[in-house]
Amino acid sequence: MDLNEIFTLLISGVIGTVGFSILFKSNKSRVFCCAVGGLLVTAVYLWCVSITDNLFFQNFLPSLFATVYAEIMARVMKAPTTPILACSIIALIPGGRLYNTTYHFVAGNMEAFDSELISMLQVAAGICVGITCVSVIVNEINRHKFKQIFDKD
Amino acid sequence: MNTDYDRSRTERVLSLALDLGKSMIKCGAEINRVEETVTRIGYAYGMKSTEVFSVVSMITATVADEGGRTHTQTRRIYSYSINFDKLEQLNALSRKICAEKPDTEEARAELEKIMVPSRLFNPIVLLGYMLASAGFAVFFGGTLMDGIATMPVSVMIYFFNSFVKVTGASRLFFTALTSALSGAMAIFFVYIGFGTNADMIMIGNIMLLIPGLMMTNSVREMLCGDLMSGILRLLESVILALSIAVGFAIPIYISGLLGV
Repeated sequence: MDLNEIFTLLISGVIGTVGFSILFKSNKSRVFCCAVGGLLVTAVYLWCVSITDNLFFQNFLPSLFATVYAEIMARVMKAPTTPILACSIIALIPGGRLYNTTYHFVAGNMEAFDSELISMLQVAAGICVGITCVSVIVNEINRHKFKQIFDKD
Repeated sequence: MNTDYDRSRTERVLSLALDLGKSMIKCGAEINRVEETVTRIGYAYGMKSTEVFSVVSMITATVADEGGRTHTQTRRIYSYSINFDKLEQLNALSRKICAEKPDTEEARAELEKIMVPSRLFNPIVLLGYMLASAGFAVFFGGTLMDGIATMPVSVMIYFFNSFVKVTGASRLFFTALTSALSGAMAIFFVYIGFGTNADMIMIGNIMLLIPGLMMTNSVREMLCGDLMSGILRLLESVILALSIAVGFAIPIYISGLLGV
């Protein structure tokens, strides 16, 4: 990948992310935060693509990163996590693979269809496991805090 | 005959908590957040116990007050659309309720103020649609022209989405219809020389339709223990993805036949 291509991907990723954060009707002050998230996630994703061919890890690491970023920014900006996370991570959503899967199905290339479908599932699994790893831990911490509040009363 | 129409405090608290929960789901909140909010409000107003169960289409809760009386109420949620701004305000309101324990009617008035239906046509949101589809068309490998060609298609998608939101028409059918129309428009644009890769234009628009957020949320909910709600959401998103696939398959197939 040359520098030009990387630049195009980063810019278009950020534009797409900003678009989605507007579309999900994020608070105006969060759009910038989402844009930075989108930029960083795209960068991490490109880095992962360059170091591994494994689709699961290509998406697992950026989604792990996005969740940590969203949790931190949510604390910093005193905002809920989901809006920031949902927008930052959007570039990983396998829209292109859904298209290819459909295309091969319609065209009757069943072998290509199988492999696209499986890679789409791999991507989805990577994203979900990445988010869950972090959010399970955060949930546990929150629950602990919640208990403390009511144990005191 | 009972002329005392003043509902008991317990009932009003429960009603407020559930209406807040329902509004949160309508704006796209996670289920464990909703259950937590309802429980917290119950505790804040001094209920002895608050038992909540919620899935994406329903919340039910039973509270027991100090006197040992129990109340149960249910809310049914028919449709939801993501609105993070409102969701944030609802979160702030629920925090405020727990901290200040205002009069229930006062809190209800604030809830109603947040949930005022948004404008039917919002040019900013339309801009969001256009940016998102154009950005991702380029991101997945299209040219700049492909990105621009997604914009008219995303305007069409925006109007269909608003139509479904307003009329409550079948989301499944309209997703398929919108997909088919966007596919046809993409192929037509390339045919007349507006954009070069029909597939990239379609991918940009698929990103608008694909329930990616719903899918990630569903798996997250399942792995966090909300099996019921996770399964419902996953099923809904898979069916939606299928309807997108079916919708796009039609123009792709026809264009293959015509050799365009």
